[in-house]
Amino acid sequence: MTYYMNRRLFLGTSAAALAAPAILRAQSGPIVLGTLTPLTGVGGTYGPAMRDAMLGVVSDVNAAGGVLGREVRVVSEDTQTSPEAAVRAARKLIDVDGVAAIMGTWASSVTTAVAPLCWESQTMLMCVSGADSITELPHGGYIARTQPNSKLQIRVAGEFMVEESATSMAWIGPQTPFAASSIEILEEIAAGAGGGMESLIYEADKSTYRSEVDQILRGNPDFVMLGGYAADSTVLLRDIWQAGYEGRIIGPAYAVNASVVETLPVEVLEGVFTWEGAPAVESAAYADVQRILGVEDVDPYSAQTYDHMSLAILAMAAAGEATGAAIRDTLRTVSQGQGEVVESAVAGLAALGEAVDYQGASGPCDFDEIGDITGTQFVFKRIEGGAPSVYKRV
Amino acid sequence: MESYLLATLTFAGIYALLALGLNVIWGMAGMINLGMAGFFALGAYASALTTTALGLPIAAGVAAAMALAALCGGALSRLTLNLRGDYLAIVTLGFGELIRLIAANEIWLTNGSDGIPGIPGPMRADLTPLQFNALSCALVLTAVAVVWVVAERLRRSPYGRVLRALRDDDVAAAVAGKSVRRFKVQAFALGAGVLGLAGAAYAHFTSYIAPDIFRPLLTIYIFLALTAGGTGNNAGAVLGAALVIAILEGSRFVEPMIPHLNGAQGAALREILIGGTLILVMRLRPQGILAERPPEPERAAQP
Amino acid sequence: MDLLPQLLVNGIVQGTLLAIPAIGFTAIFAVLRFPNFAVASHATIGAFAGYAANVWLGLPAAPALVAAFLVAGLIGVLSDEVALRPLRPHGALTTAIASIALTIVLENVVRLIFGNDLRGYDLPIVRDWRWLGVRIGPQQVQNLAMALAIMAAVFATLRYTRIGKAMRAVADNPALAELKGIDPVTIGRITVFAGMGLVGAGGMLLGLGTSIDPLTGFRFILPIFAAAVVGGLGSIPGAALGAMVVGIGEELSLLVLSPAYKSAVGFVAIVLVLAFRPRGILGERAY
Repeated sequence: MTYYMNRRLFLGTSAAALAAPAILRAQSGPIVLGTLTPLTGVGGTYGPAMRDAMLGVVSDVNAAGGVLGREVRVVSEDTQTSPEAAVRAARKLIDVDGVAAIMGTWASSVTTAVAPLCWESQTMLMCVSGADSITELPHGGYIARTQPNSKLQIRVAGEFMVEESATSMAWIGPQTPFAASSIEILEEIAAGAGGGMESLIYEADKSTYRSEVDQILRGNPDFVMLGGYAADSTVLLRDIWQAGYEGRIIGPAYAVNASVVETLPVEVLEGVFTWEGAPAVESAAYADVQRILGVEDVDPYSAQTYDHMSLAILAMAAAGEATGAAIRDTLRTVSQGQGEVVESAVAGLAALGEAVDYQGASGPCDFDEIGDITGTQFVFKRIEGGAPSVYKRV
Repeated sequence: MESYLLATLTFAGIYALLALGLNVIWGMAGMINLGMAGFFALGAYASALTTTALGLPIAAGVAAAMALAALCGGALSRLTLNLRGDYLAIVTLGFGELIRLIAANEIWLTNGSDGIPGIPGPMRADLTPLQFNALSCALVLTAVAVVWVVAERLRRSPYGRVLRALRDDDVAAAVAGKSVRRFKVQAFALGAGVLGLAGAAYAHFTSYIAPDIFRPLLTIYIFLALTAGGTGNNAGAVLGAALVIAILEGSRFVEPMIPHLNGAQGAALREILIGGTLILVMRLRPQGILAERPPEPERAAQP
Repeated sequence: MDLLPQLLVNGIVQGTLLAIPAIGFTAIFAVLRFPNFAVASHATIGAFAGYAANVWLGLPAAPALVAAFLVAGLIGVLSDEVALRPLRPHGALTTAIASIALTIVLENVVRLIFGNDLRGYDLPIVRDWRWLGVRIGPQQVQNLAMALAIMAAVFATLRYTRIGKAMRAVADNPALAELKGIDPVTIGRITVFAGMGLVGAGGMLLGLGTSIDPLTGFRFILPIFAAAVVGGLGSIPGAALGAMVVGIGEELSLLVLSPAYKSAVGFVAIVLVLAFRPRGILGERAY
């Protein structure tokens, strides 16, 4: 799956390449970057749009003349939401295509599986996975993630529930790398607020959760938090509504996303809260993703992969070199600092020369030394009449 | 590119080990094991935990992997000796899923869905990625050769002939004596041990295992390999494994040539290509590319 | 335990829905003697055909269910003719494995056409009725009624129609049936059509309370297989009974087991039943 630039641009860059001295010409083939998203398997509901967002960035960048005078070519592979298949796909991206970066891995197990291949071959890996353990791997700087780590996310949401005067809470979700830590954190927060907390870990991908819902609603909690992904959430939200639950519900924005909102009847969703690392909705970056994907409500994962691609391109441009090591070394120079704020790869490329600070579609995109995103603001939304509207920012 | 080819060959070797293990169980004992991924997981976890949690050398991990998988295989086949093939297929399918559920939920033991990273590979720290892939490839292919030779010897032994006769004759199997039934359990355990070995090889080669790896998709690929290559035939098992990896990997390079609209459609086309090719192979060679042949009589038996 | 009656109700509803695809799977086994793993993709195809009828054509649930039956049945026959029937002389295992390859192809044909997006049926949603502390949804009751109607139709067809009798004859003794002038190929086609049709209808029934995507069928297959095996492979009443055992067992397991292990219940049920009755609860007579 390659993404070619248009012919005029191709001729332009070829001419430039011919004119360049020999040493430069060796370097002047296209810059190759890899996307590795789940296109089939359980992550398949997210992967295609994540990939499209990245292709959109590259198309814009190529139309504006490429990076370092070179065209950017994208090779896309499918993780099949399986670490085994993803490892084979990553090997191909690294060894055959020679990509400088792999972007868009979703499942935490997939990210952890391909991570060693990346750091061993000095390839940058940018992911949207939430498992806390990922950035603790000995990756030597080759991992960056745009998803706030799960402990932070849960803490923020737990505190939100307390502020909304919840005394009893419940968490219901499938077994994931962050299920246990989510429950632990919420128990601590609930205890601190003098309230109670119930939790239930179910088996993912069932066609009904009526009995699980009965069990979790027995104590009639004020707030129920959903811990799964989109497919499970549609089933749970229906089952909870049908059970006649009158309390409040909150779920991560990637689990109660636009496709869930579209799928479910309006009354089921009425009053449901979502939260996410605040996308800069007024920013040019966010508008860019809306344009690329042709949607109003951008999925958090797609916003993040848009930022992956933009950051990788800017980092290579700033380093003057199209390698994974260059991206690792200059990622933080373009993503944070006191430079001029830029909100797209194209704008950033134009402004480079001076220092830039990329602020993306998923948020300000600042990274700490182990590759976790920092300074994330969170936005809580409430769904009313079938549309989410901003409720609170923290 | 060399690194990719070596890694792909290593994966082909791991698939070949899996196909050989299944073939011992099917070809010798006539038992269908759709729970392959479960034994693969048992081996991978046993070896990973032996080398990380206990800090023992890789060889000990591999031994533990084969022992645990063989033990569980023996126990499962002992439980299901009276079942006909169709039932066994579904019982073992359930067993595989059960192992995956345990791996995901018993966090104290398996680290849950986080998986186990940082599993040591032989001399990994001292080698470049290319050298490491070359070494892994050599080790895995050696294992394939050893298992192949042992499986062939067993197949030609009197013991193998008894089992094959039983496999092909339901009535004989039903009235078979206790000792013969014990043969079947042993054959299942032996095959499961090979599946465990493949699991250990996977764990030490990729350095990371997680429950997601052991979804039924992998079992499907290996069964397709075995059936396309020729069930009952060890050479067929290895050839089939190589063929499946060639299709899985080759389809990556074919897919961009097919015009399509978006990512999901491209991935769907690739999988249609994979499934369609396998159906085509089976239509053209229903007995497998290399059909099973009864072993030639041993020379010693000739006058 | 105050949850017990509620879990029983949930289990009975789930078991009844599960019975439809389990009957389809076991019927194909009864006549053609191989486990057809392509049920996964046919359940998905039925769910999507029902979705198309319901959302695109605006049909209510019952006619959409008929569409699910017809489309899944038709695709079942066509794909069987191309991919599986030529392989049947080469053994049950070969055919079963080919059916796995077939299911990969069909799942991805659905993906090619519909993409991976979640889709929901356009049906009114109503709060549950409560009665003595037990709740049940009007939609569930309707699904239950549809499932029971389908089962009644299946049993009536098998008992009273010529085709039904011919199918039973082939299932009991193919050689004898052929002597009596019953064409096994025609009966095989009719069985695949009806069996995959039932699987498709079941896929839609199970999918009504969820959102559907190309993996919908895969989510249901383990309990479907478990139901068919527990009841006795090839026995149609056995599949219905097995579905109840698995459906109720899965729900009741919540009392003693973490819900994270729900799928294990089907497996444990299989092992327990088969330990005492190696041919399932009702044995293998088709009807």
